[in-house]
Amino acid sequence: MSYTREQIEDFLYHEAALIDEWKTEDWANLFTEDAEYLIPPTENPDANKDTALFIINDDYHRLQQRAIRLGKRTAHAEFPHSIVRHMISNVRIISQSANDLVVNYNQVVYRSKRQITDTYICSATQHLVPDGDSFKIRSKRVILATDTLRPQGRVSIIL
Amino acid sequence: MSQKTSPIPLPSGADGFIRDDRANNEFLVPRKAFTSPEVLAAEYERIFSQCWLYAAHASELPEPNSFVSRRVGGRELIINRDSDGEIHAFFNACSHRGAMVCREKTGKNKWFVCPYHGWAFNSAGTRVAQDNETGFPDGFFDGGSKDLTKVAKLAVYRDFIFITYNSNAGSLSDYLGDAAEMLDLVADQSETGMEVTEGNHEYSMRANWKLLLENSADGYHAMATHASYFDYLQSTNGSFRSDFNPSDIGGACTAFGNGHAAIEYVAPWGRPVAQWVPQWGDQGRDAVNQLMETLIKRHGEERARRIGEKNRNILIFPNLVINDIMALTIRTFQPVNEGYLEVNAWSLAPKEEHADVRKFRQYNFLEFLGPAGFATPDDVEMLELCQQGYKNMPEPMWNDISKGMSKAINGSDDELQMRTFWRRWNALMTAD
Ligand code: FES
Ligand SMILES: [Fe+2]
Repeated sequence: MSYTREQIEDFLYHEAALIDEWKTEDWANLFTEDAEYLIPPTENPDANKDTALFIINDDYHRLQQRAIRLGKRTAHAEFPHSIVRHMISNVRIISQSANDLVVNYNQVVYRSKRQITDTYICSATQHLVPDGDSFKIRSKRVILATDTLRPQGRVSIIL
Repeated sequence: MSQKTSPIPLPSGADGFIRDDRANNEFLVPRKAFTSPEVLAAEYERIFSQCWLYAAHASELPEPNSFVSRRVGGRELIINRDSDGEIHAFFNACSHRGAMVCREKTGKNKWFVCPYHGWAFNSAGTRVAQDNETGFPDGFFDGGSKDLTKVAKLAVYRDFIFITYNSNAGSLSDYLGDAAEMLDLVADQSETGMEVTEGNHEYSMRANWKLLLENSADGYHAMATHASYFDYLQSTNGSFRSDFNPSDIGGACTAFGNGHAAIEYVAPWGRPVAQWVPQWGDQGRDAVNQLMETLIKRHGEERARRIGEKNRNILIFPNLVINDIMALTIRTFQPVNEGYLEVNAWSLAPKEEHADVRKFRQYNFLEFLGPAGFATPDDVEMLELCQQGYKNMPEPMWNDISKGMSKAINGSDDELQMRTFWRRWNALMTAD
């Protein structure tokens, strides 16, 4: 069976809505148990996570923990929660086989807190696995389309 | 030192700009030191233009003609090796009319050619003759006056490259003094040399630079600021050493001369060199145990255990932090303005590191450190809350940094390391 871009977009919008609404544990449950969530270094988006210093290098355990942590008052950078919005565009299905859909897209994420709004310009690649009438994420690699993390200074939200 | 500085707008008392009351064990720092552009201007002149500053690690320059370009103490530098492998640091500004001659962050260049009018410099900074150059008399470029300008002094200690803009500065080894021993404990983790790994963290904080210095070796804040990080460790099987007891962390702070300080304490978590935790599995245990054996062979049991099993947060005045904790980070930072700083951070590792251990190291680094870790963003939040809190001046005028002042030995959760920084800061800011 082959999937349409619209089906993929529906899924990406759903994922984005969970993040924007701070349903972080529901977000984490979109992932397969062998999943990874990665942000490679800005100077080399193709770097290897086992040798290079990434910005985020989460396996399933750590992305679950990331989601739980963000629900706590003691996750100070996100207490109270900032206001987050994902804008997703340029969605392309790169390849699809029975158990692996590769999807590319661009996103702009806004984070507002204490009267400052930071903008994260990104592209992303996801490897999706069909799951009933939806998908699970096996890999999400977000590439920051800026040459450094100045002036945002942190990625305390989920991109 | 120049006498042209306009007066520094801080309340000045018997101890200078700080209140260092040893009789009553009270230590106060004026909040205005964090919010005043005039104080920052004076810091540029009296601190960043006078002290030795960390610039790069020799492993970032692996071959002849390798270079990096970056801001050091607020100034744009090219740090490179010439064709003979000798290390230099040049201002990244053309000797003609000042354009930056290097626009890449890293690479290998035999020549730096200014994009504006095409002046060319070799990797030793020498202005080289162009074909068909007209308008300059014979010999105009001889004698070096049109070469790239070098920083006043450069010195390397155990592959840590330092520079200073002060031609009267004493030697780097005098500057580091006994704090050099802390750099040894880092450099000695490898038999073949340490290297900066691929990928770095370039981020920022909307806070005064001194807030990050204070925070980088502040054991006192760990339990409050990083409660959610300790929750994460608790819910991660095997992330603590099995015999760990939180009351053991203890540790001590050492104040060195010239404003340097370090805390050393028990590591509750795994250390790539060289403390295994169950999370790393049997294969990891073999690799880490082997590392400890080679450390013992090289350094003897006692020093090997100190190198491999102790955490250390090292502050080298004014803006170098080396945190040797669940990973090893070199962190340096500089003010852009009084309320905004830039950070550069790298992961440092033994060149010969086993692939499994390197993987733990990079994974470990991010659980705590870095702009998307489980701790650093909360540090950023705290520093920004402080900076915003200082807007309430003038009524609450002073920060209190007295913790541990009455004790003979300060623990890792006392505040001697910050007092050490501030005493040096005060001495430089009030010197004639
Ligand atoms: S400014 Fe560099 S050649 Fe003119
Ligand atoms: Fe911290």
